[in-house]
Amino acid sequence: MSGMTRKLSDNILDKFSMDFLRNQVLKNAYGNDDTLIAKMDPRVLIAWYLFFGIVPWFANDLIFLLMSFMIVVVTTLMARVAGLVLALFILGVFSQTGYLLIATLIFGGDASAIVPLLILTLKVATISLASITVFSGLDPDRLANGLMWYKCPERLSFSISYAYRMLPMLMEEFQNVLLSYRMRGNPPDNSTFTGKIKYLVYQVKVIIHAFYPLMLNTAKRSRTTVEALEIKGYRYAAVNKEVKKMKLASLKVTYNDMIFLAVSFLCVSISLLLTSIL
Amino acid sequence: METMKKQTASQSQKLMVFVLTMALYGLATLFTELIPSFQVGIVEFSVEYFLFIPLTLAMLFDPMSVALGAATGELVFSEIMLGQFGGLGELEKFITLTIGIYIAGRMVANPAKRKMVGIAAMSGVVIQQFLGMVVDILKVQFAVTDFEAVAGLPESVFATEGFAFLNDVLFSGILFCLLPTLFLVPKLYGKIEPLLGMAPRTKETALGAINPKVIIGCVIAFAAAVCSEMLAESGMAIIDWEAGWAGSTTALAVGMIVAAVAAIIILVVMKKMAEPKHEEEMG
Amino acid sequence: MNVIEIENLTFSYPGAKIPTLKNISLTVEQGDFLAIVGNNGCGKSTLCKAMNGLIPNFITGEFQGKVLAGGLDTQKTDVGTLACKVGYVYQDFENQIVRPTVLDDASYACMNYAMKDYLDRGRDALKKCGLEGRENDYIWQLSGGQTHLLALAGAVSLQPDVLILDEPIAQLDPGHADRIYEVLKDLNENYGKTIIVIEHHTEYIADYCKHVLLLKDGNVAWKLPADEALRHVKDLTACNIFPPQVTRAAYALKQRHVLPLTTSLPTTVAQGMEIFKALANESALTNEKVLANESTLSEEKGKAADTAASVAVGAAPCQADAQAAVEFQDLSLSYRSVKGKPHTVFDHLNLTVRKGEKIALIGSNGAGKSTLMKLMIGLLKAGSGQVSVFGQPVRSIKRDALSRLVSLVYQNPEEMFIKDSIEADIAYAMKVRGISRWEERTKELLEQFRLTELKDRDGRLLSGGQMRRASLAIGIALNPQILLLDEPTANLDIATRREILTTLEAMKDMTDTVMIATHDMQLVCEWAQRIIVLYQGTVIADGTRDEIFGNARVRQLTGIRPPEIFDMGQALDPDAYCYTIDAFVDRFGGMENVWNDQKAFG
Repeated sequence: MSGMTRKLSDNILDKFSMDFLRNQVLKNAYGNDDTLIAKMDPRVLIAWYLFFGIVPWFANDLIFLLMSFMIVVVTTLMARVAGLVLALFILGVFSQTGYLLIATLIFGGDASAIVPLLILTLKVATISLASITVFSGLDPDRLANGLMWYKCPERLSFSISYAYRMLPMLMEEFQNVLLSYRMRGNPPDNSTFTGKIKYLVYQVKVIIHAFYPLMLNTAKRSRTTVEALEIKGYRYAAVNKEVKKMKLASLKVTYNDMIFLAVSFLCVSISLLLTSIL
Repeated sequence: METMKKQTASQSQKLMVFVLTMALYGLATLFTELIPSFQVGIVEFSVEYFLFIPLTLAMLFDPMSVALGAATGELVFSEIMLGQFGGLGELEKFITLTIGIYIAGRMVANPAKRKMVGIAAMSGVVIQQFLGMVVDILKVQFAVTDFEAVAGLPESVFATEGFAFLNDVLFSGILFCLLPTLFLVPKLYGKIEPLLGMAPRTKETALGAINPKVIIGCVIAFAAAVCSEMLAESGMAIIDWEAGWAGSTTALAVGMIVAAVAAIIILVVMKKMAEPKHEEEMG
Repeated sequence: MNVIEIENLTFSYPGAKIPTLKNISLTVEQGDFLAIVGNNGCGKSTLCKAMNGLIPNFITGEFQGKVLAGGLDTQKTDVGTLACKVGYVYQDFENQIVRPTVLDDASYACMNYAMKDYLDRGRDALKKCGLEGRENDYIWQLSGGQTHLLALAGAVSLQPDVLILDEPIAQLDPGHADRIYEVLKDLNENYGKTIIVIEHHTEYIADYCKHVLLLKDGNVAWKLPADEALRHVKDLTACNIFPPQVTRAAYALKQRHVLPLTTSLPTTVAQGMEIFKALANESALTNEKVLANESTLSEEKGKAADTAASVAVGAAPCQADAQAAVEFQDLSLSYRSVKGKPHTVFDHLNLTVRKGEKIALIGSNGAGKSTLMKLMIGLLKAGSGQVSVFGQPVRSIKRDALSRLVSLVYQNPEEMFIKDSIEADIAYAMKVRGISRWEERTKELLEQFRLTELKDRDGRLLSGGQMRRASLAIGIALNPQILLLDEPTANLDIATRREILTTLEAMKDMTDTVMIATHDMQLVCEWAQRIIVLYQGTVIADGTRDEIFGNARVRQLTGIRPPEIFDMGQALDPDAYCYTIDAFVDRFGGMENVWNDQKAFG
């Protein structure tokens, strides 16, 4: 418990570097724009995701799941996803079912106990990795365009590109406000156990209080942004079909896309063959 | 006169509020995604919600824009950016969050009244958490055939879900929604609105109390949320389909493989043929 | 032809008691390069937003009168159509950029208005704004100046007849500022665009603008050709606008009857040459006596300047024996970059700051000034090497103790305000530390910084100068031994800058060691005792103002530029080192002052 508290309190402000986070998110979005996945047509990838993001959930066949899992592992590697995202993925899978699986393995559970857990873990992992491949591997703008093609609301695709544009600035600002607290605040001593609890409470309080200046500063920003959007014809474009067509004109299905689909299809077929033979 | 209009903000003002909420709440959820939660016994402590951000803003600005902005922010920043997108099931979170914030925002006619702000903040959390709980219970009920028949199952599901609900409301609700909202709303009221070029909300300019129309709208939205969740979680029909599909003959599978291999060969050859012409595309 | 015609425009914001613009009538001709000047809050930005139709179409309020932009009545035309006539670049331009990549943002507006050739238009606009070759870069890869050019390109892409820029160079170093104005000049001369800038850097107005419009309390005071306008020294100073230093110097000399009253005041260094040439010759003749003395002096100076680059450490003349306050030993630091190799900021940097020094840290945007300061307060960790404060490594000092030793005031004062009133903000650090008499000290600080009247206001809602004063008060609340100020005069008009300068001057007694990172060379010249020049992460010069500004190589390399009056003095006499108008007037104004001037060199 105290170990956990220490870890938690360390995490929030001290060891947790906003620079690192910012870097990872940006890296995830743009640092891998020269990979095969990033260059793919977003529509094809989203369609691909619809299969690997949904079907494994309903399948219970071990071979099929293993094969799907391997496919998405390969695509995730191809997408060169940032470390932080992978760490979150592992943490997520572990906290959902992975810890049960490992515990069962350690305590020598038999196949009847392991197989269902393995299946569940594979399901969760496959679906997560499929979404990581698509959402982290694709350039946010291409993703936004792809979603728009699938008739997602314009507001959503705008939000995605804008969020990436905004995030570095927001984080820097938040970081600076937190720094103000660090420089001027007087955190409680955290060498004793009660001190640690107090320290934790203090940090949570600081984060909450930090949103007061952040809200006001961001409000100032939003105003300029929305005025600029108005000038740049954003609202006009949102209802204009012509503009949408122009935006989507940049999307093009290439041979690479088709080969990618065909290879995925081949792997799935093989797993089906194996299932029916075995 | 302009200032006497009800708070049906202009399109652009709505966009401003949307952008503001999306950015702030998105940033906050990005952090919650990274801060681990920990458990003491069966009580789970987590900084699950920075829900006070959209709650505060919903009480000051157009509640619908805030609600949608917050839900979009969470979706974009914490799910898409970090690759944690969970598929159709996210829709459920999106809708319950929107409903909770919207209702809380509508409840406050005069942000200067602390009591009302407090009640609204709590209501927002309770509604959001309650809807989430209902979805969870329905999920189990729907997934397990003969839900009633399994001895003790309904009771245990109700008990655990109910406990989680209470825990969230009492812990996250009070610490991360009620107190910060009570702290922020009076401080921001009258200060943040001019920055966006709007007049502060007063009793006269508020949207008015919650009427049947709002409730019906919320119910419909909630029904949609439940449906999406059901579809994402169980999908009985699809399982049936999958069973038939998996049991198909070996011949079909072989056929598929042959087709796939043929397609790959043809595509690779075509790509090679096309290469001299489109060198720049192949990179 | 008039591109902008305004008739009897009166506008007030919702809830405001008095109108911001009062019965304004104005015309702007096609092809003009107009500067709008006026003190803070006189309605400059409001006027510009009325020209591009944001008022009244987007920002509501009470609107009377008529505005024609490019022949269109702004009240009857939507913002989109007007945007194709009038482009607008905000003061906080980075919020205007909404797309993640350069070409994407430049062509965004064109795409939204369904122009088929939007990419070509975007490319064309980038070319005009000097951003060719950066098309596929991401926004965060751009420097501040480039970001501004991109915001401009976004407006240019729609090919409007008129471009309005709100304080385009407020946050930029002189090199970047020149570039912006060269681009504007090009757009004006070669592409026939009408340019309207809100500007208080009168030196730039003199160099680039054709007309000047003076706004006073929401009224047009006058609109005159730039040269003539800048000669209205009295009118301008009454509105807290300061004409170019050359103009003011000539004005002062006229007042002293050194120059004949009929002289028309010069506005640029070139014009100044004409007017002051006679004086220079005169003073050269009469100064023969002291020439010998001076030449040895300048020789020494020359030597010092030559060696400045190599003698980076400990070059400060007066306090070489004082205790070291901050030491950078063999420091290297690099940032993670999104792609590829980490970006190196410092590579084996060595630098010593001594106790009691008043240091100015200069260098172009991105030279590492802010990073250096962040290292001193322990916010960044060095890759290798060490930063120590009073002999102790920064990272080993407890945060609480460190914050009493070193204090940093950010470039953006808004981020200093974490409470809802400036009184609470100033008191916060003292209160949480339980410093005795914190209430009285807060009162004293409020008094010293003339903030008592404003103590209950939220810092963010104050004017630029008040915000700065408040942030300075917050910075020294804990009585730190070392005070670091990041760009304390950025984004301020000249009058407020002077006010801050006075405050800094007064603070000299309250503080011990102070370091200011800045682009503001007037501040550097009037305030600093030691100047450190950073260039690409290394200290390339370190010394007194004479050593720095007398060193042509450093000036050329870093693009730092002394105040105009210094250049004027140098142009007249290479041995003249005049940093202020007073010094210049004394130097060239007559015999009797030469000896005083000599003392100033010491």
